[in-house]
Amino acid sequence: MEDTKPTLVLDHVSKSFGEFAAVSDLSIEVRPGRVFGLIGPNGAGKTTTIRMIVNITAPDSGRIELFGQLMSTPLQDRIGYLPEERGLYKRMKIGEQLRFFAELKNLRGAEAEKRIDAWLKKLQLSDWKDKRTKELSKGMQQKVQFITAVIHDPDLVILDEPFSGLDPVNVELMKDTILEQKAAGKTIILSTHQMEIAEKLCDDVCMINKSRKVLNGKLREIRRSFSRNAVALQFEGGNGVLNDPELVTNIRQHGDDTEVLLVPGASPQVLLRRLMDSGATVTRFELVEPTLHDIFIEKVREVA
Amino acid sequence: MRKFLAVVKREYIQRVRTKFFVVATILGPVLMAGFTIVPAMMFSIKSGGPTRLAIVDQTGKMYDRVAKELVTGKEAKTNVATMKPPSQPGGPKSPREQVDEAGQSVKPSFEIEQARLDNRSIDDVRKDLEAKVQNRNLEGYIVLPPNLLKGGQPEFRARNTADLFTKGNVESAISRAVRGQRLVEAGIDEKTVAQASEPVDLKTVEAGGKESKGEASFFFVFGIGLLIYMSVLLYGQFVLGAVIEEKETRIAEILFSSMRSFPLMMGKLVGVSLVALTQLGIWAVAFLVFSLWAAGGSSITLPHIPPMLFLYFTVFFLMGYFIYSTVYAVVGSMVTTTQEGGQLALPVVLMLVAGFYLSFNIIRSPSSPLAFWASMFPFFAPITMLVRIVTETPPLWQILLSLGIGIATIVGLIWLASRIYRVGMLMYGKKATIPEVWRWVRQS
Repeated sequence: MEDTKPTLVLDHVSKSFGEFAAVSDLSIEVRPGRVFGLIGPNGAGKTTTIRMIVNITAPDSGRIELFGQLMSTPLQDRIGYLPEERGLYKRMKIGEQLRFFAELKNLRGAEAEKRIDAWLKKLQLSDWKDKRTKELSKGMQQKVQFITAVIHDPDLVILDEPFSGLDPVNVELMKDTILEQKAAGKTIILSTHQMEIAEKLCDDVCMINKSRKVLNGKLREIRRSFSRNAVALQFEGGNGVLNDPELVTNIRQHGDDTEVLLVPGASPQVLLRRLMDSGATVTRFELVEPTLHDIFIEKVREVA
Repeated sequence: MRKFLAVVKREYIQRVRTKFFVVATILGPVLMAGFTIVPAMMFSIKSGGPTRLAIVDQTGKMYDRVAKELVTGKEAKTNVATMKPPSQPGGPKSPREQVDEAGQSVKPSFEIEQARLDNRSIDDVRKDLEAKVQNRNLEGYIVLPPNLLKGGQPEFRARNTADLFTKGNVESAISRAVRGQRLVEAGIDEKTVAQASEPVDLKTVEAGGKESKGEASFFFVFGIGLLIYMSVLLYGQFVLGAVIEEKETRIAEILFSSMRSFPLMMGKLVGVSLVALTQLGIWAVAFLVFSLWAAGGSSITLPHIPPMLFLYFTVFFLMGYFIYSTVYAVVGSMVTTTQEGGQLALPVVLMLVAGFYLSFNIIRSPSSPLAFWASMFPFFAPITMLVRIVTETPPLWQILLSLGIGIATIVGLIWLASRIYRVGMLMYGKKATIPEVWRWVRQS
């Protein structure tokens, strides 16, 4: 799988606005048929990066290659883009709106009509085809916007915060739809702040902070490399065991769960034995890998 | 190209279908008629009955003459007997007559009374008259000094000195009276004086030989200027609104990810221009149908319009539209709200207004150097050149030169605009400053 040709290559790409460097020397490769997570705090340069990928702005230096070709206007038709800041014409009917955006991607006629109906049905919006945007709820508008990104069956789908404004039911619907796209062989770039969702969907992750790449690779490998000797516990009794500074550096309590960070090099087995010895009733004892959330926060703090 | 057409199509269909378009198309001609005819009627219909004036005659012999001149006015013919007694001013006129007169001068009706001195001092009489003016028993009074015939200055006191028509009428009535009296005193027979003072009634004929009605064609030219001014302004505002909508709803981001900014902006401008042409076309057809109907024996006479004028109008409308709409598109991409856009576009709108006001002067002297230069300056030309064509068609080379300058300006503006538009549309949250915009132009 490593030797398949990448869908998208950013090669030492930089972009600044006046004095402000939005993206500095960014190199990434996005492989086909995978979900690529682009994460980072607000103002890190994600949106600027995406705008360069969809050819809205050009980089100051560096090279962007899509499907093995240098970025160009005709290639835009093979990209679907859901921007973070959503926009639909307020007074236009949903059906007409989708037809217009499809035309802008060179999809027209009966084929466009067929796909619009199919997508509206899939996202439970068929009844709204002849309604105007302003009559729709925010979540519905969001789904319409998503359709504009995928209606022309693009090979690369870029989704910037696709879950914002959706209720839990629709978040699930959206997740399933994204995974279907992936199963159909599409390459997906997902930018989000919702780390739990990114964790479930992404195969690869690139994290940028303050215009620079701070982390890049397969999600599984990243998590393994960030393993910090942490244990999730549920127990009763055993007072004072966790207070040994030679064994434990940090304790976090989430309801019944206790998350314990061990001193580097300390063995979790020692902790378990001490708890047993102290007469505690242990109902859960689990070694945990750090979540993307933890890694995110650690990385952002590191740079700051 | 197909994407460009998609933008044109969307812009056109979405706008033509709106209620606003339908209402504006129907109400437009009504408003136009209102704007040209109503002010004329307002001027001529003097509300509140005749103007009551008192005359203090210190010469002792001028009262009759001045009163007569005031009551009969400019149109005084040989037949002096038409003078009506002061208590019975001219009967009410039909609005039609009043509109006709509004073009040349307004003849208000006067009700004249003599304020006799009766051995009182002039100051006492003045005090008395001032009180009457205050109590609204009089609109004003005239004092004719004893040395009136030898250059003495008569005095006109009125509550409303801003009423220029009344002032002008009073002035010319006294002048005529004084002239008549001097001639009589010089030994010329009264009848001869009356005949000699008979005013001419000017017959206006266009150089081509067609007789034209002066006022009618003044209002026609004025109407043409107003129409082009209002349509350029209205459709420019549409472009401004459309650009701001796309910017503020962030649709621009999706559009730019699908096509280049230049065909997008052009698609918008062309789409809205087609809406404008549709509307003007409907009006033109309605006008033609109406004139055909009117020609078939109705009392309404419409100005004769040479067919070439429709072509000229279309061409100069498009020139004005593209110049101003391109500016509006730039402004729209620089601001965040319609209000801000209105403020930023104000200097440009003022140029359009200036062009409109210049046309008043140009109607009077369409071949003056001012008229020439005003019709070569591209921001004025759409109105001023058209006004010149309607009043006194300039040589073809001037029309073509004006168009050439206009087209060059449009090309330059669009070149500039496409650079600003692309960057401006993606900048959110704050209004762009002029130095910033200048940097965008240089960078891209």
